[in-house]
Amino acid sequence: MRPILLKGHERPLTQVKYNRDGDLIFTTSKDQQICVWFSHNGERLGTYRGHQGAIWSVDVDPTSTIIASGSADNTIRLWDIKTGKCLKSWEFPTAVKRVEFNEDGSKLLGVTEKRMGHLGTIVVLDIKIDVEAEQSDEKALTIVCEESKATVAGWSYLSKYIIAGHEDGSVSQYDAKTGDLIYNIPVHELNSSITDMQWSSDRTYFITASQDKTAKLISAKDLEVLKSYPADTPLNTATITAKKDFVILGGGQAASEVTTTSSRQGRFEARFYHKIFEDEIGRVRGHFGPLNSIAADPTGKSYASGGEDGYVRVHHFDKGYFDFMYEVERERANRQQQMGTATA
Amino acid sequence: MAAQTKHDWADDEDLDESKDELPPPQKIQNKDGSTTIIEYRYNELNQKVKTTRRIRFITHREVVNPRVAERKAWAKFGASAKDPAGPVTDTTSVGENIIFRPSVNWRKDAKDESKDPNAQAMKDKLRDKKVKCRICNGEHFTARCPFKDTMAPIGEAGAADPAAGMGDDLLAPGGAAGAAGTAGPGKKGSYVPPALRGDRAGAGAGDRMGGGKYGERDDFATLRVTNVSEMAEEGELREMFERFGRVTRVFLAKDRDTGLAKGFAFISFADRNDAVKACNKMDGFGFRHLILRVEFAKKAQ
Repeated sequence: MRPILLKGHERPLTQVKYNRDGDLIFTTSKDQQICVWFSHNGERLGTYRGHQGAIWSVDVDPTSTIIASGSADNTIRLWDIKTGKCLKSWEFPTAVKRVEFNEDGSKLLGVTEKRMGHLGTIVVLDIKIDVEAEQSDEKALTIVCEESKATVAGWSYLSKYIIAGHEDGSVSQYDAKTGDLIYNIPVHELNSSITDMQWSSDRTYFITASQDKTAKLISAKDLEVLKSYPADTPLNTATITAKKDFVILGGGQAASEVTTTSSRQGRFEARFYHKIFEDEIGRVRGHFGPLNSIAADPTGKSYASGGEDGYVRVHHFDKGYFDFMYEVERERANRQQQMGTATA
Repeated sequence: MAAQTKHDWADDEDLDESKDELPPPQKIQNKDGSTTIIEYRYNELNQKVKTTRRIRFITHREVVNPRVAERKAWAKFGASAKDPAGPVTDTTSVGENIIFRPSVNWRKDAKDESKDPNAQAMKDKLRDKKVKCRICNGEHFTARCPFKDTMAPIGEAGAADPAAGMGDDLLAPGGAAGAAGTAGPGKKGSYVPPALRGDRAGAGAGDRMGGGKYGERDDFATLRVTNVSEMAEEGELREMFERFGRVTRVFLAKDRDTGLAKGFAFISFADRNDAVKACNKMDGFGFRHLILRVEFAKKAQ
């Protein structure tokens, strides 16, 4: 496979996101702009300018009409995807580290930083998916994280729960209507921050990546750890692929440690694990720095990774990827085929 | 193409002289379905440039999501507002090809490739062989057999089928020595002279372990060069023979007292094919007013 290199950013990437149809890729970086790209050929459709600080996070609504972004300039902004116009801006006391739409795009959550005497919070905003509509100024809900600040958060299936990953390595489940804490479970090592959390396509389970060098697959309903994927480097991101039962992990030493540790290459790779058997099945190299964000195409055809080096690399999988099967999987496929021919 | 255009090169010369006028672009349908487009233009130095492009149009139909198709037609905006249609080279480029083959034991594969210079040769040798499980004869490593805990290996627990054993070692050349060492479980620990190891059935890999390995390599791709000048140096010989491939060893027999060459040398190649090439080319080659005689070294008696 030949990766497509996207160089629209001058500073490290912070998040990479596909829209639901898998044709657009949104990338955010510390250089204060959001870029949108066509995934099939890497053509840049446009940029969204207006933020006055590093942009930490972006999310796109399910209909690909608007995007939301959270930035270090203490705002969440809403943008029209098609024209690049800023539609709305909400001010917060501290930086916004994460934004995410719920399944139908009617609600948006934002995770705010703990700083300057303010506690870390998760805020919920009501959204109308319409470029013309007037968006409400009011926060629908505010969850205050008193113990350890949330670093990532997302909406479970049917927008029933809000799941948050914390700086101390725990994951909590909140009731999305009332904001009550239901569970708080330490899944990762104590005080190893959860750096990323991404959902399966049906949002019944999710994967977390942590500084403790592991990624975990966790069910949304009871926060049970389903699978664990150990790596040899702190992880910044993890994603679940569609079509094939794989997960992709990305990481590397922190940017500040790169020059002080051994120069051995090979930590800046995307690591593929089998989702069910938990075996590492391959790596894809290419970045010159740690991988900050990986996103898998919801249609299963490609994945994109954004690195500390300022590049986004879009990889379209080739045949060998789709053909790969474990022997047990192949046997099952053969059996099913035989059954099919027998009945026909 | 030229024949189809019926356009003589001499005519081109004439056209060049009328500087102000450019010939109209031509479009020619070729028999094989492609189209040749010839265009003329002036470059910065005011020279006339003729561009001939041969294009084949292939209609590739794809059913796409209408929403996706609609988005492809959107106008660009922001920093890309002035970009032309299609990917722009300053923001989008194509990286070098990455070979990504998911594999259960990718880590081992990668290590072998990087460490072992003979890995490629080994791979070629083993290309058509298959991994075979000693327990159930399935196509996987014994260690990964689903019946590992429930079934004993085919035959006896210790007396592994040599063929299956080989199969296991295929993708792990590094492990071959270990496997060979345990090939005789019955006499484990007791010394067996190298000369006797080869006689035992099923210890085929064993005879490669001993001193035999060196001799085997020698015979395989080693040339004996005779009628070498007394003044010859090893370096000269290496230089001469390296043209044909990687030389692993040069041995020039020298007199102990005088330091002069005795008149013969051995050249070992990494690859047998290179050795054959060198043998053919260098036999009869004039070197320091003597004619070299090159032949394959015979097995030491």
